[in-house]
Amino acid sequence: MRYLPSSPAEDRALLDTIGVPRAEDLLVGIPESLRLKGGLDLPAQGSEQEVTWQMLDLANRNTRFCAQFLGAGAYDHFVPSAIDAMVSRQEWFTAYTPYQPEISQGTLQHIFEYQTLICDLTGLDVTNASLYDGGTACVETALMAVRVQKKRNTVLVSRGLHPLYRQVLATNFAPHDDLKLVEVDLKDGVTDLADLQAKLNGDVAAVMVGYPNFLGAVEDLTALAGPVHAAGALLVSVTQEALAFGWLEAPGKAGADMACGEAMSFGNKPNFGGPYLGFLAVKDAHKREIPGRVVGQTKDLDGRTGYVLTLTAREQHIRRDKATSNICSNQGLVALRANIYLQVAGPEGLKGLAEQNVAKAQYLRQRLLELPDMEPVFDHPFFNEFVLRYKGDMAALQEACLAESLLPGLDLGRFYPEYQGCILWCATELHTRRMIESLVEILARVPATV
Amino acid sequence: MFLRQREPLSFERSVPGKRGMDLPKLDVPTAKDTRPAHLKRSGFDALPELSEVEVIRHFTRLSKWNYGVDDGIYPLGSCTMKHNPRLNEKVAGMPGFTDSHPMAPDALIQGNLETLFTLQEWLKEITGLPGVTLQPSAGAAGELTGVMLIRAYHVAQGAKRRVILIPDSGHGTNPATAAMAGYEVVELPSLPDGTISFDDVTDPVNGKVRKGLKTLVNELGAEIAGAMITNPNTVGVFEYRFKEISDLLHSVGALVYMDGANMNALVGVARPGDFGVDVMHLNLHKTMSTPHGGGGPGAGPVCCVEKLVPFLPVPVVVRDTVKVGEGEVPKHSYRWDWNRPQSIGKVHTFYGNFGILVRALTYCLSHGSDGLKEATLRAIVNANYIRARLKGAYALHIDSPSLHEVVFSDTLQAKHDVHTLDIAKRLIDHGYHPPTIYFPLIVPGALMIEPTESEGKDELDAFCDTMLAIAKEVETDPEALHQAPTLAPLRRMDETTAARKPVLRWTKA
Repeated sequence: MRYLPSSPAEDRALLDTIGVPRAEDLLVGIPESLRLKGGLDLPAQGSEQEVTWQMLDLANRNTRFCAQFLGAGAYDHFVPSAIDAMVSRQEWFTAYTPYQPEISQGTLQHIFEYQTLICDLTGLDVTNASLYDGGTACVETALMAVRVQKKRNTVLVSRGLHPLYRQVLATNFAPHDDLKLVEVDLKDGVTDLADLQAKLNGDVAAVMVGYPNFLGAVEDLTALAGPVHAAGALLVSVTQEALAFGWLEAPGKAGADMACGEAMSFGNKPNFGGPYLGFLAVKDAHKREIPGRVVGQTKDLDGRTGYVLTLTAREQHIRRDKATSNICSNQGLVALRANIYLQVAGPEGLKGLAEQNVAKAQYLRQRLLELPDMEPVFDHPFFNEFVLRYKGDMAALQEACLAESLLPGLDLGRFYPEYQGCILWCATELHTRRMIESLVEILARVPATV
Repeated sequence: MFLRQREPLSFERSVPGKRGMDLPKLDVPTAKDTRPAHLKRSGFDALPELSEVEVIRHFTRLSKWNYGVDDGIYPLGSCTMKHNPRLNEKVAGMPGFTDSHPMAPDALIQGNLETLFTLQEWLKEITGLPGVTLQPSAGAAGELTGVMLIRAYHVAQGAKRRVILIPDSGHGTNPATAAMAGYEVVELPSLPDGTISFDDVTDPVNGKVRKGLKTLVNELGAEIAGAMITNPNTVGVFEYRFKEISDLLHSVGALVYMDGANMNALVGVARPGDFGVDVMHLNLHKTMSTPHGGGGPGAGPVCCVEKLVPFLPVPVVVRDTVKVGEGEVPKHSYRWDWNRPQSIGKVHTFYGNFGILVRALTYCLSHGSDGLKEATLRAIVNANYIRARLKGAYALHIDSPSLHEVVFSDTLQAKHDVHTLDIAKRLIDHGYHPPTIYFPLIVPGALMIEPTESEGKDELDAFCDTMLAIAKEVETDPEALHQAPTLAPLRRMDETTAARKPVLRWTKA
């Protein structure tokens, strides 16, 4: 086995020092009756060459596309070369959690910078070292909202939140008989203000809305903040496409009390859904209720500035069942990718990229609407995703696109029965005019509905 | 490693007008501004303006303040820091995997589905448990998923049950997880070697009696939903009465959760499914050597017995076999099954940390059944070698046979007013990452050392020689230990002020 360094003679020496003839003799602590008889029924070890081919074969069994017009929580953006080059340094990817600050300042300072950037993007005061992904970030935020709002036990969730985020929320709320998760309807593709007002009461701890929401629409956080705050609840903005922060006002400045979501767009490929990057940001008053790891600045004995994991009194290794969460890791390397991405992009790069996303999506929408079978559904400002109704045969559309190696948008009927026949389209800076025109040409040839 | 110059925060380096990213030419009309005025981005306070050169140098310099597995032994007990094969990184970066979209139709992602299905088959055989979900993104997420499966099972049986038993030697995540899953935690006392006490235990200091497993099972009976047991436990000792424990819990209808954080000591040697475990998680960043990445991403798949399978998170990957002619190789196709009415739902937005799962399968294929077992045995040999060499110089808190890690305490050094923290910090001066310290809580001043199978005799000897030299230094120059580290980029940090007056982000002066 190429990964095991001792020679047979060295192994012998190790066993002699221990004082046992065979390695198996060290298993005495495991009762004979509980040991595995015979070996595992699995293939034998493979050489690097054999395994490379085997895995390449699997990778190649996925269909490759010239262009993907599908977003829905997983966005394809250009990844600057600096990111893979940097992240493949062993000092970053093979290191562990920075428990020993004197030997981990690299990771700690990186997380401190990452935290600064998340606060900047969201316009809020405090964040953590990152969470698993958008859906689980929603869970941690909702549970935190209930914690800080003491006697309130209900979280209102707009149906404009990513449907899979809502499913993750439901799973995690199910064990808590004392907590309630209530959905707020959509009207014209955004949170229905009348339904929201009807459901706001003294039990509501927080209201979660998409910004932009799953249907691509920019929800007016400021308008929603009025009634939400009047009812004593917190407004939580949930963003699944963090690049939108280059175009949209920071949620904290637009009326949100907490912001969470998914930041995979900063330096990652779609990667079949993970690893991604959950984030959560809150106001200073709530910092001691935040879940997960947090890095803080301090001094060493000689007064030099350095960084440490801090506010650990909230965490599971100290508080055990009273901890703010059971999470004891972060998405360290994905946060590093985001940090590098944001530093390379800078304010001008981020704004410019965001503008390009809007321009491409607007162009895609305009061109698609030239097709006789495509109809507008909503008229809201959108970032890089929007919904159109397709009057033709959905299966034929799928087939025509795939035949030309294009992945079309999401058939919304899968998640929203009320939007049966509608498609959620996405365009990013990766979509050239030519790709968009090809899509339109291909769709124009789809046979009309019988 | 250990660059001694200062590297400022990137924000302090920012100079207006610098660019690190060039955008492609816009080949469509410029965007119409459709935003309401109050939702237009007003600006940024921190995002730095830097060139690509400066960003690369910044992160390169920062990286040199870290210690990685390639720098040498990383003896963090319970964390299992073993070699991260570059092949696994290369495979996870194959465009066929990285470009694939999680919402793509099943027919277009057959390679991904087969990858996940195959990894599941490996994990089933390794654990001896027939159900798997790969969705949880980390060990703690796996624990939560596992306990939610237990809850869903009991609810389906018509009895909610309210208690989870957890030994005091367990990881802090266990009680935190049980609380997140809506349970009340009742602590099980452990014996000095970390194994669970069947009988009541009288505290030698305050004379208080703590109820043992037998009493708790008798008194709480059908209130017990399950127990969460780390095996091998956090002192590296196999819970040798595991079968009796699980039989006892099963007798009152409770389920047994095994925290698989230390599964790397059992792969190919013993299978949890064979000793009464109903549900467990694996930490792929430990057992299968996926990189720790400075704290993540990890992966925490959950394996379970047949009766818990209906409750597994959606979707579940399914293999259909297409019938072919006699003598031909059967054809398989794969699909997601979302139609699972008893499922607990989703625990991750999509399917978990897929890129990590790809690395884990690559690890499995590289090792094979023979390599997996060999790795386990070598890890156990290495830990016992360190135990043999350091015994005497450091107090071995327990004498039970230990597997993949060894726990010392600082009682011999404490006479000289030198403690575990000082020993850990002194190791840094010698160019080593310290072991896990002050855990498990049941060992005073614990130093938990786990060398893993990745270390050869030379590296083990060099580490042991250093530990022995430090033990000598404790007697001759304890002050040197109190001052350590002195050769790292920074000396000891003021953690109290950090927590009392937290500075959690940079702000413009």
